[in-house]
Amino acid sequence: MNVATEQDEYLDGVRRALADLDPATRDELLEDLPEHLTEVAAEGEGTLVERLGPPEAYAAEMRAAAGLGVARTTARGIDDRVAAGVRRLRGALGVADRKAGPVLGYGRASEFLRMLLPAWWVLRGYLVAMAITVLTTGSGFGLLPRLGGSTLAAVLVLAVCVLASIWLGRREAGLRPVWRAGIALGGLFLFVFGLVGFDKADDHGTVWFDQTQTVSVNQYEYVRDVYVYDQYGNPLTNVRLFDQDGNPIQIGDPYRCLSFDDYKAKVEAIGETYPYCPQRPPYLVAPQPGVVAPPDRGEPIVVSPTPTEPTDTPASPEPTGTPEPTPTN
Amino acid sequence: MDTTQLLKGVLDLAVLAVLKDEDGYGYDILRRLRTAGLDEVGDASVYGTLRRLFQAGLLNTYVVPSEEGPHRKYYGLNAAGRDQLNRAGKTWRNFASTMDALLDERGVAA
Repeated sequence: MNVATEQDEYLDGVRRALADLDPATRDELLEDLPEHLTEVAAEGEGTLVERLGPPEAYAAEMRAAAGLGVARTTARGIDDRVAAGVRRLRGALGVADRKAGPVLGYGRASEFLRMLLPAWWVLRGYLVAMAITVLTTGSGFGLLPRLGGSTLAAVLVLAVCVLASIWLGRREAGLRPVWRAGIALGGLFLFVFGLVGFDKADDHGTVWFDQTQTVSVNQYEYVRDVYVYDQYGNPLTNVRLFDQDGNPIQIGDPYRCLSFDDYKAKVEAIGETYPYCPQRPPYLVAPQPGVVAPPDRGEPIVVSPTPTEPTDTPASPEPTGTPEPTPTN
Repeated sequence: MDTTQLLKGVLDLAVLAVLKDEDGYGYDILRRLRTAGLDEVGDASVYGTLRRLFQAGLLNTYVVPSEEGPHRKYYGLNAAGRDQLNRAGKTWRNFASTMDALLDERGVAA
């Protein structure tokens, strides 16, 4: 018989005998078999069946040694199906465990997680101290469990809880399953409690940060000149600005259009007035009926008195350039 | 007395022991056990035992490509495996010396 065919046949026989196992477990068990059959075949004379026994016996022996129980050929009950489901889940977890291990630099992820256990015990103690504080005093989640508002009490509570959690952690393995399930459930509760608490504490931090941001902004920093218009859209010149206490408001760039000496002369003659550059209106306001709009953008604006304009306005507009009648056609 | 019955109880310990100083692949481990005098150990038992010890988290595995034939899966002890070897080794030695003393007392020939 062809050597390769014989090996394949033997392998198939073993696989059939393990058909009731879930695929992951079966593949794992059979992983080494092709290589082993090659070795045995290379070793000496005689068929594989003569040397290793029938495939069914081989499968049974392997199954027994692997602690997987005897083959079940009868119809499977609900218990068996649940057990198979649990086995499959364990298999999947085992595979994930081994796949994730190298990413973390260990053979198995569980090896790494086991080393983190003492860190979890310390965190658990801290969270218990925090839960006691929040549940008994109703205060918020902070950095320290301030029981009664005292730092000393906080440190004492923290120390006791952390030490107790470590003590419990070292003895957990020897406890009865009921107790261990209770501890696991409590750990889950503390984990969720911690997540919610830290999330809230984080929110407080964000709000405080936003407030300081708003305060520091000077929204008029960009203003370099001030243009004032009356209700008809006519630009006013030589306007003076005061705040609620009667102090003159000084903003913008006074030397925008005048030299230092000219500006000084202007302030001595009529005081600080806006706009600094009356000859350069930055924009036009929509003209109103009965009001003459400036003839051209960029040219000095001529304001003609209109019948509706009040005559006793303190900051009455004065033409600054040479008065020039608006061309009419 | 059939050695196979005895072997069932201590095959775990024997496999851990032959991996103590050097990692090995399945057939290699089988050979080490036979060289050590455990002639009756079954091939399938060794592979089943390796799988169970691995599942119990006592062994590391890695695959080494080979020029001839399929790739070889090597097994080695991890920290938990060494720990288990030390503990189970002590248990076995206690048990064996107890049995020796019992047989000596009754004057059974060695």
